[in-house]
Amino acid sequence: MSRRLRWYGADPLHLLTLLASFALAGYVAVQFVGSRPLGVAVWFLGAVVGHDLLLMPLYSLADRSVMAAIRHRVPGLPSIPWINYVRVPAALSALLLLLWLPLILRLTASYHASTTLSPNPYLWHWLAVTGALFLLSAVALARRLRKSRSSAPPECPAVVPDDADSAHESGNDSAHENGNSGSLGRYDRPGRDGRHLPHDAGHRPEDPV
Amino acid sequence: VIGAGNPEPHPGQPSLARRAAQRLGRLPQTDQLPGPFRRSFWRSPVRGPWLTSVLGLVLLGGIAVMFVTGLLSYAAYNPDLSPVNDETPGKGLLGFYLFSWPTHPVWLYRLNQGVHVTLGLVLVPILLAKLWSVLPKLFEWPPVRNLAHALERLSLFLLVGGAVFEFATGIMNIQQWYVFPGSFYTLHFYGAWVFVAGFVVHVGLKAPTVVRALRSRGLLRELRTDTAHTRPEPPDAGHLVSPAPAAPTISRRGVLAFAGAGSLLVLALSAGQSLGGPLRRTALLAPHGQDIGGGPGGFQINVTAAEGGIKATQTGASWRLTLDHAGPAGGTPVSLGRAELLAMPQHTAHLPINCVEGWSSGSQAWTGVRLRDLARLAGTGHPASVLVESLQRRGTFRLAVLSATQIMDPDSLLALRVNGTDLSPDHGYPARVIVPAAPGVHNTKWVASLTFRS
Repeated sequence: MSRRLRWYGADPLHLLTLLASFALAGYVAVQFVGSRPLGVAVWFLGAVVGHDLLLMPLYSLADRSVMAAIRHRVPGLPSIPWINYVRVPAALSALLLLLWLPLILRLTASYHASTTLSPNPYLWHWLAVTGALFLLSAVALARRLRKSRSSAPPECPAVVPDDADSAHESGNDSAHENGNSGSLGRYDRPGRDGRHLPHDAGHRPEDPV
Repeated sequence: VIGAGNPEPHPGQPSLARRAAQRLGRLPQTDQLPGPFRRSFWRSPVRGPWLTSVLGLVLLGGIAVMFVTGLLSYAAYNPDLSPVNDETPGKGLLGFYLFSWPTHPVWLYRLNQGVHVTLGLVLVPILLAKLWSVLPKLFEWPPVRNLAHALERLSLFLLVGGAVFEFATGIMNIQQWYVFPGSFYTLHFYGAWVFVAGFVVHVGLKAPTVVRALRSRGLLRELRTDTAHTRPEPPDAGHLVSPAPAAPTISRRGVLAFAGAGSLLVLALSAGQSLGGPLRRTALLAPHGQDIGGGPGGFQINVTAAEGGIKATQTGASWRLTLDHAGPAGGTPVSLGRAELLAMPQHTAHLPINCVEGWSSGSQAWTGVRLRDLARLAGTGHPASVLVESLQRRGTFRLAVLSATQIMDPDSLLALRVNGTDLSPDHGYPARVIVPAAPGVHNTKWVASLTFRS
């Protein structure tokens, strides 16, 4: 960084690379100018806004809402990261919907006229795949629960109530607000009124500097 | 995600923007900012340069293949041969690499398009994961540190806008949902170059960060680390790592497996439409994953006779093929009925129809007259090109120009029959072109005339 340009903020190569990139993009834009440049610019902007400011906040919100709702309503949650058994099939199903939205919702009016194929099966295929994903996930969760029960230590030094769950492991209050921490760092103990044992301190995320 | 720009922070030397802002007293400190602009808003303990770099490396390889197969697909239309084939007359220097598209190996276009389309679909979950991993950068504060940072963020607009635009137009096009503003070929072609302009510069500027991040943690060790033992990466200069990480609900290997599972699922549910045969029906979510029904004409169609505006009166006994030889050496056009064509030497070729949309009909047995025999009949033994005209009234590809290589290939036919019976109306009766390794739309259906040039 000894050759850093003070007025610019990076080295000259950085500037040259970016200028070359903009030159290429500018050339493309000039060559393209005949074909509805405004519509395309709107699509580029829409692509960024649609992904960064709509899709991503929406799925993040959905993820947190589901996690918070289940944590507050279901007593005696297991200590394993159970959210992934909801998150993964739901996200994979949403991915398929995102990719094949026109087919699934029959948005292409001419599909049958063009291909002679039926536009009808895709909605059912998507629902069937979604069902299969959740079923597989449920089976995986059941197996995981059985495994974690059989491997739980037979002797437990203490029993703490559920609502004290994450205090020992979150270095700050906001980890609890976030709703991410409660299900970790504890053993599941069936047959004891859904109560859990504190795990050792090894599960606390390292405190970043 | 605008703002993956990562010039090293240098506290001793406040940037112009920050100094100006401090003077104005307008920019609040980062811990006083609202919502996502506050660094501690971002809680995921798995975000960090290592995870982003692994996902970025997968995308780097995938997008390189997408770009090369895309350029090849563009070349397969022989846009330099004739304005008829060229959807992008303003391509200029962007067509620098064009070459005459070969007819062998016969699977060339099938492989190219199958890979381009299927890989494009398979990369979507990786792209989404990668964009998720750098989301905090969109809200970095101050929004602009200096000119370098401003330019880099602008280039990220090309990168992210271009990526989402290219994936979106491609995915809509294969489902024939034409809501984008213009011709798919034009948009996808120019969009690809804009995207690449942002992509190359991003790869170049991020390469040192990626190398450093990948060296910071062993892949095998990460793949052995479960959620309970997952710790945040150490704080990084780019501020990807959360300053207030929550307890992990998923490990880094879990994130990679999650994205990978998405890719495998998409692959399993779509590749069948390119592979064909009994595997077609495994493509539960792909536009050409359904079998079309049995019989000799039971293979995929993308434009029916009705959609092409073909009337039975045009294709009945009155149909004549016009063979012409354009230019000064040309003579009078030759006109042939279907019976006369069937009386000529017949040749059978086993070839698939392969669409730009990624699906393939699988190999079919086409029988008809060789194009080179028809050229000779039109008066040229050494044709340079042929203009094929369809009876179709509308449609971009009612006209196509084939190259000398394509005409002279012994398997290039004006097909009259397929799999032992006459062509069906939807497959191009009374006659269609079939050329090895050509894009599907250059296998013109319902041919009305062939005009050769030497």
